[in-house]
Amino acid sequence: MANALRGATVGETGLAGAIAHIEGRFGVHALARGETSERRRGEIVIATKTSLDRVIGGGLAAGEPLAFVGPPSVGKLSLALRAVAGAQAQGGMAAWIDPTASFDPLAAERAGIDLERVMVVRAPRDAVALATASALRSEGFRLVVVDAGEQVFGGTDVDDLAPALPAVRGSPAALLVIAAKRGRRVAVPAVVFERVAWERRFDRTVGWSFSVGSARGESHIDRRAIFSLTLDGGFEGGEAPIDRAEVAV
Amino acid sequence: MRDPVTLAVVASPDMHARLLSTLHAALPRVGVLDPGIFACDLAGTEELLGAPGRVARRVLARCVRAGAQVSVGIAPTPFVARVVAERTPSGEVRAVDDGRAFLAPLPLDVLPVDEKVREELRLLGLRIVGDFAELPRGEVFDRFGSAVARAHALARGEFGDMVRATAPPRRIRARRIWDDAIVSHEQLVFALRVVVDEISASLARDGLAALRLELRIDREDAGPLRIERTVLPPTRESTALLRSLRWALEERAEVGLVTGCVLEVPEVEAARGRQIGLFAPDGARQEEAIASARYLRAKLGRGVVLRARVADPDARLPERASEWMEVIA
Repeated sequence: MANALRGATVGETGLAGAIAHIEGRFGVHALARGETSERRRGEIVIATKTSLDRVIGGGLAAGEPLAFVGPPSVGKLSLALRAVAGAQAQGGMAAWIDPTASFDPLAAERAGIDLERVMVVRAPRDAVALATASALRSEGFRLVVVDAGEQVFGGTDVDDLAPALPAVRGSPAALLVIAAKRGRRVAVPAVVFERVAWERRFDRTVGWSFSVGSARGESHIDRRAIFSLTLDGGFEGGEAPIDRAEVAV
Repeated sequence: MRDPVTLAVVASPDMHARLLSTLHAALPRVGVLDPGIFACDLAGTEELLGAPGRVARRVLARCVRAGAQVSVGIAPTPFVARVVAERTPSGEVRAVDDGRAFLAPLPLDVLPVDEKVREELRLLGLRIVGDFAELPRGEVFDRFGSAVARAHALARGEFGDMVRATAPPRRIRARRIWDDAIVSHEQLVFALRVVVDEISASLARDGLAALRLELRIDREDAGPLRIERTVLPPTRESTALLRSLRWALEERAEVGLVTGCVLEVPEVEAARGRQIGLFAPDGARQEEAIASARYLRAKLGRGVVLRARVADPDARLPERASEWMEVIA
């Protein structure tokens, strides 16, 4: 009996060892589970229905990470909320990892999010990776958003998410990280946000425009989209070429 | 119509669990009357198992091999069979064809009635079961009620008490031995997938869902590591079972040099029906999301895994605009 069991499982151990070896040498993204890689791209892409889709190549893809990087108040959160609404439009649920407890339900609802289908996890800084990994490993979510926040308010940074990144590959969920800076130790594909203009009325900022670009390096931006955020949904224009996208605040 | 035949086995309550598994292995319908007292329905089994007397002797021999001293009674009803077995010396078999005649000379103590009722019957001049059985049933029912009327039927050997058989416990278990020791969590989880798939197929075959998992990991450099997991909601899906084990393993920094494992499902429940996800997209499985929420709640405590609701969009104070609720109450 023992011999039969041994004979049947030698291959399993060998395969596990081979996988571990490949992942150790080439990284955890070198291999993907069959069912994930065999899905059609249309099935795994979350479309935000904004110009962001063009910049990032069609939308957020399940099993892949993406970071929104930029200084505060340039529209990262607004586009992330649109991404959650896009994931829900496909029938999925979303997990929002929120170490700084800054998730605003009102803004989320205005962005078209069904709050019943968003799980907000106010994980402390040292548990953000754990919460992210467990949400990615679950088959219950279509999109996992990590709002890294400011470190002075208990936030985290992209590097702290390193333990969770192996869980992205093979997950039915896409990982979206909102952070002020790129990671220094881990390379997560990022789009860079820049504020390009703002509008003031009666000494009050009532809207601004920002650009989103997919950056291969720190300075080179090969694709760009410009968004306009105003309190009344208006658009003030900007330098051509402009891809207008309606983003509610 | 099958002739009712019941075989009762009486033993010490200490031997209950062992005898129950012995009887389950030998007979098709085994019911428990009391700790150490079993009733086995033999109706319709004569062609397959042989005459009740032979079956009883075989059962007696099996029980002796299991280390139990038992007595066996054969009668048309479970109640009479039990009384017969209780009045038979240990290691013997006794068969009774006419239950009423057997019970008639016995004292009223054998009947399952309250002491108060028994005293009342004695005051009426009834001393033995036969006297009680002679009373008209309608009058017994009018005077004493349904419970005593049921005892009256038992006294006449009429009431064919059903043997409430229990399903024999089945071990759902899978085992693997690995020639090369597994050293990392990832490898171990990968290797466990095959074991979990086997368990999942076994559960699916019986229409069961796992409620509890017990994993024993054999290690080269240390003693066995035992992991117990409760699976909520109960499921037979290998992904959910594997995830539960993975979480348990991740709580340990090192697992050592793993050379084998035994995975067992000690507790199951019937698999409940659920909506087939024909049109459900990926990442929309609520029970999976709830399982994650429960895990995070257990790890991180209250007030962490939340769901929001807009309470008053026009509230003057921002904190009154929304409400937060625990996902897992």
